[in-house]
Amino acid sequence: MEQNKSGESYILEVKNLSVSYGHVNALKGVDIKVKAGEIVVLIGANGAGKTSLLETILGVNEIKNGSIHFQGREISGDSADKIVRSGIFLVPEGRGVFSSMTVTDNLLLGAHHNLKGAKSKMDYVFSSFPILKDRKNQVAGTLSGGERQMLAIARALMSSPKMILVDEPSIGLAPKIVNDIFDILKNLNSEGYSILLSEQNVYKALKCAHRGYVMETGNIVLGAASEDLLNNPEIRKAYLGA
Amino acid sequence: MEVFIAQVINGLSLGSIYVLLVTGFNLLLLVAMIIHFSFPIVVVFSMYIAWIVLGLTGNNLFLGISAGIVSAILLNIITAPMFQHIMKKRGEVDINSTMVLSMGLGMIITDFLSHSINKGFPIAFPDALTGRAEGAFLKIGIISMSRGAFLALIVGIIFVLGLFWILYKTKQGRAFRAIAEDPNGAKLVGLPILKTGFQSYALTGFLGGSTAILMAILLGSASPGLGDQLGHKVLAVSIIAGLGNLKGGLIVGLSLGILEALVQGYWTGTWSNAVAFVIMLIAILVKPKGLFGMKL
Repeated sequence: MEQNKSGESYILEVKNLSVSYGHVNALKGVDIKVKAGEIVVLIGANGAGKTSLLETILGVNEIKNGSIHFQGREISGDSADKIVRSGIFLVPEGRGVFSSMTVTDNLLLGAHHNLKGAKSKMDYVFSSFPILKDRKNQVAGTLSGGERQMLAIARALMSSPKMILVDEPSIGLAPKIVNDIFDILKNLNSEGYSILLSEQNVYKALKCAHRGYVMETGNIVLGAASEDLLNNPEIRKAYLGA
Repeated sequence: MEVFIAQVINGLSLGSIYVLLVTGFNLLLLVAMIIHFSFPIVVVFSMYIAWIVLGLTGNNLFLGISAGIVSAILLNIITAPMFQHIMKKRGEVDINSTMVLSMGLGMIITDFLSHSINKGFPIAFPDALTGRAEGAFLKIGIISMSRGAFLALIVGIIFVLGLFWILYKTKQGRAFRAIAEDPNGAKLVGLPILKTGFQSYALTGFLGGSTAILMAILLGSASPGLGDQLGHKVLAVSIIAGLGNLKGGLIVGLSLGILEALVQGYWTGTWSNAVAFVIMLIAILVKPKGLFGMKL
């Protein structure tokens, strides 16, 4: 694992990453780093490139330029299933659960590459999310928005990830449920999972994260500790309406 | 009552063949994302391969059956790269191009069968395979079954059960269903899309080959035009059940087999296709998206 000057190790390092869809440049030389055990949030408006960045880290998009290192190993160019096997899992925007399949089937999909320990992981997941245990034989289409988000997070845990990418978890959820989801993410982080989060709910996300990056039209325009971003007058004006 | 029971049993044999064909077609549609309506033509091609090998080996059943099954798997896997090429390039279902490919493949096979094998005349499978010469194997009242028909019924039912067990109880089946519901979402949870698509070709190839043998036993003969006939029926059954609806295909496939057998039992065999299609026409007029809903 690569060490920086102060001896801290980065679990994820994205360097000068560029991605384009046809003539549209979605990412224009993005640099971000996540330390092991950190929650880092990407904030920015719709179309800033947050989802593109997360999906590119997962190996879904073709990289035009730059590199991605995970635990010191270059993963840029690897297929998504290989990257998932190496320990990164995405909780997609809009949950991405399979609504015609049961809760149990959805969870097992998370453990697709390593079914051997699935039983004990399922017990662990059910103890963290008792509501999912009650609904384990229901098809996911019958769950509420908050339950689906929990299912998507639980499915990520089934893969025994080292790092979880969470794309806009608060979208479309009631404020109380949003708080629950952020509490879940904080708990997971305290259990040792590194988390890279994208959010438009800037205040709550920064309260939850250690550090944040601000994205605008495919660029990182600012990166700092969460408190500094919360106190930054420009951020307050642009994203917090204060 | 006895006629009824006898025809229901016959219908189950025929129906399980329809179910295997329709499920193969649906799997290719859902997982590999191709409209392969020439799939039944591939199956008929495998019947011919089995017939040729049986002829060459002096009716060695093991070799004949193996050749039929292996040829369908190979043909499916050999044609897979063409279909996957389209899929990889477009990243989504391109119904038009896969349909043209499938149609072309079907035409080539049908042409080949009607020019180059047995001078285009229908082929008859040897009694060693069909068991026709032995007379009734099972006889209860007027219900009588040849050894072949009995085997086809048992094996057909076992295969249908096994297929649905794979789809609903195994890791691969789960991946099949996930890709079927949402290919993009499946990619995001790290399912290997192309590899799983390839597995679906191999599985449907195996299904197709086994179905070819069951049909050889049950029908006792084949002709170059058989693939087209079956192709129409399979397409009709899958649309009436609801395109891509696996459980719907199971119910409608079995029902069609039983319906045809009942028409044959109580009226006349020559009208069974017409009656089946009239009923299917009514079904599709009443429920345009299929009796059990489209799953695409």
